Amino acid sequence: MHRVWAVATNTIRQALRMKAAAVFILLLLVLLPVLSFTATGDGTLKGRLQTFVSYGLSLTSLLLSLLTIIVAIYSITSDIEHHQIYTVVTKPIRRYELILGKFLGVVVLDIALLTLFAVIIYGGVTLMPRFIKASDEELVQIDNEFYTARASLVPPQIDVREQVEQLYRRLETNDELDLLYPNYSRPDIIKQLTNRLRLEKRASTAGQPLIWEFENVRPTDPNRQSLFIRFKYDVSVTPEDEQVYGDWRIGDLRGLKPGGPEVNTPIYQTTRRDPVRKFREIEVPANAVAKDGYLAVGFMNPPGLNQTTVMFPLEDGLEVLYKADSFMGNYVRGTLLILCRLVFLACLGVMAASFLSFPVAILFCLVIFTTGSASGFIIDSFGYMSEGVSKVYLYTIQAVIQLLPQFDKYNPTQFLVSARLIPWTVIGKVVLTMVCVQAALLLILALIIFSFRELAKVVV
Amino acid sequence: MEYAIETIGLTKVFSDWWGRAKVYAVDDLNLQIRPNEVFGLLGPNGSGKTTTIKMLLGLLHPTKGHALILGGDGTDPKISKRVGFLPEESYLYRFLNARETLDFYGRLFGLNAETRRMRIEALLEMVGLKAVASRPVGTYSKGMARRIGLAQALINDPDLLILDEPTTGLDPIGTRQIKDLIEKLAERGKTVLLCSHLLADVEDVCDRIAILYGGKVQAHGQVKELLQKTNKRQIITDAISETAVDRIRRVLEEEHAECEISSPMERLETFFINTVVEAQRQATPTSGAVSTTQIGDFLAAGANKDSILDKLVSAPVSEKPSAEPIRTERPQPREAVTPEPNKDLLRKLATPSLSNGTAGAAPVQTERVETVPETAVKKEQIKKSLLDELTGKKTPDGSTEKPSAEQKEDGGHA
Repeated sequence: MHRVWAVATNTIRQALRMKAAAVFILLLLVLLPVLSFTATGDGTLKGRLQTFVSYGLSLTSLLLSLLTIIVAIYSITSDIEHHQIYTVVTKPIRRYELILGKFLGVVVLDIALLTLFAVIIYGGVTLMPRFIKASDEELVQIDNEFYTARASLVPPQIDVREQVEQLYRRLETNDELDLLYPNYSRPDIIKQLTNRLRLEKRASTAGQPLIWEFENVRPTDPNRQSLFIRFKYDVSVTPEDEQVYGDWRIGDLRGLKPGGPEVNTPIYQTTRRDPVRKFREIEVPANAVAKDGYLAVGFMNPPGLNQTTVMFPLEDGLEVLYKADSFMGNYVRGTLLILCRLVFLACLGVMAASFLSFPVAILFCLVIFTTGSASGFIIDSFGYMSEGVSKVYLYTIQAVIQLLPQFDKYNPTQFLVSARLIPWTVIGKVVLTMVCVQAALLLILALIIFSFRELAKVVV
Repeated sequence: MEYAIETIGLTKVFSDWWGRAKVYAVDDLNLQIRPNEVFGLLGPNGSGKTTTIKMLLGLLHPTKGHALILGGDGTDPKISKRVGFLPEESYLYRFLNARETLDFYGRLFGLNAETRRMRIEALLEMVGLKAVASRPVGTYSKGMARRIGLAQALINDPDLLILDEPTTGLDPIGTRQIKDLIEKLAERGKTVLLCSHLLADVEDVCDRIAILYGGKVQAHGQVKELLQKTNKRQIITDAISETAVDRIRRVLEEEHAECEISSPMERLETFFINTVVEAQRQATPTSGAVSTTQIGDFLAAGANKDSILDKLVSAPVSEKPSAEPIRTERPQPREAVTPEPNKDLLRKLATPSLSNGTAGAAPVQTERVETVPETAVKKEQIKKSLLDELTGKKTPDGSTEKPSAEQKEDGGHA
């Protein structure tokens, strides 16, 4: 272990005395404070905080990712290229210990730098309200909508398979399929129909109520906290002023049904006017949740006020948010997500450097990094493509995609900006897949390649 | 008998991209290097010396055959713990300073902090880089880098030292020091594999040599056997009169032997050391390495009493192969004569402040040497003077007091 540590400290020293590392660190040290002044967002205090935390963390994450890749690759390839490796591997150190040392050095450096910059950003975020004039209303708003970690409940997908089948058969017998969906394959049509039916379940014509039911809602302190109904309207006909009325009821709505149980928690009711296609939040005291964790949200398109059908988009039309943890706890978990990414990149860099030269290894890692950062898009596009391609192709590509990291999916800023809880289950999942499986595989591969390769070049 | 280094049918073929054999860098090489031997591997550039070493150390995989170090695999930590290696160039981390460099290598050997600290100081002293030890190694001249390279090869007090072109880039004093060090180590029971194309270096220190060409051994054997001309004799005398020369010539004519009479030239090495001593005496400032003769001090002085000293002193000298070639010293006449210039010079290099009027005096060779070529004579003188120095027979300033055990050992050896 002391040998591994000796290599690790040497790697850290190399990184710190390497100009590239210094440039990255300096850049962050300058940019982060500057960001805290220039990031104004939409002008409100909340907007400023959101922009700062999002830009700050993204920048830190990006620069540290690049730094990790460069240091991990350089510390190995330069040893080989400049032959220092001759004097190192001829000492009583196993080659795997050397690789582990390099890896450990990079990770320790990452932890140190990430902690440093995370603390700087955290400091900026907590200090910002003191230096910026804001109304009391705004201060309450950021307390509720920024300095918190809210659990998010999304209504479950409605099972519409049977109805889709029925609809499909009906269209088939009526010979309307070709008319409605020319040149579509059956799975494509099914997909279309499913979306259509699901959206229908989330659309409200005038006077038609929609009810979403949630279970297991557990705010930390129901009597003092609030629930937030975050929603986005979509409409069939856009009104001239782009505003829609809505009639909301939030609470234990089971009591309203005929023969329902007696309800002793309050039901909150509000009628409001909101712009379409924009996120809005309704705040309700958390005591609306029933003792057994049940909560229902009812919406009605008030008759006479709207000239359109109101819809809630499938992906992000409606969710219920409530405070489940402090901002700090959430922030720490967000930083852990970044660390997982850096650990993966360190393994990737070490693996690439074990058999590639510096420029090639850098290129390789950057390709993987950018692919990982756009994994959602790539997976989606392959998802569309997979319908038409052969099974073999499908399985090989899918296997490769599974091995790719999904940086964008587990990007902490999207959670922190909307003050959404990063559950430990997500951290666990990322640690398991990205660190324990993907990164570990890469590291093992690196150890094997490096242990068996020739380290000297042929000179005759 | 277990060899310190043994290669059995060692072959390295370099193939092109298609796998076709291009070059036989090493071709069916069979080397046997006994423990406690100074072995020279010679050959022109590209003859396979370095490739052989790299295969011994596991940096290259042999195409065929085996390479054994200390009876095992060079990549086995148990083996490499006992090996010191100086590659053909001192490949060092440019961003570390000398002290950090040695500390890093010391840690790879698992040496504890205290041992590391003592050895690093002793080694820095020995290679004369103490004054510049906190400068990044990247700013060192080639010779200085070489010195640090040598220091890192010695940090573990190795049983087997593999030196690839150790003297390239070194000034003559540094070269001399390395040669002295090699002899010193050999005397302490270590094995040295010296790989060089500088023939003078090899000739000076090696017991046995092998000459490689095209990856094959072209000649091998003891240096003495290979070089001695048994049909020649050389006599060196004091500056005798012309009449005496004529008489000798007549005697030789009676023997029907050809003879050639001239004044021996001073060796350039001696002359150079002379000049530097003179400069040091005048305290000319230098930014480079400081030359010292502290080699012996590091290995014998108090710094590493527990490990290095004990090991070195207890190293059984009798085990040294009786085949040792040119170490046939005759101590008796030497004791009677005035101190030899070399001894003086090197002592002065160690203690520049000491001024001695005889330093620049022309060498007077009064030793009687028979059946030994001229070069060997000089080698012997320098060596003996150093041995005296190192084992403390002459302690110029009293700072290098050595244990008496060593003196005995040295005497017994002679």
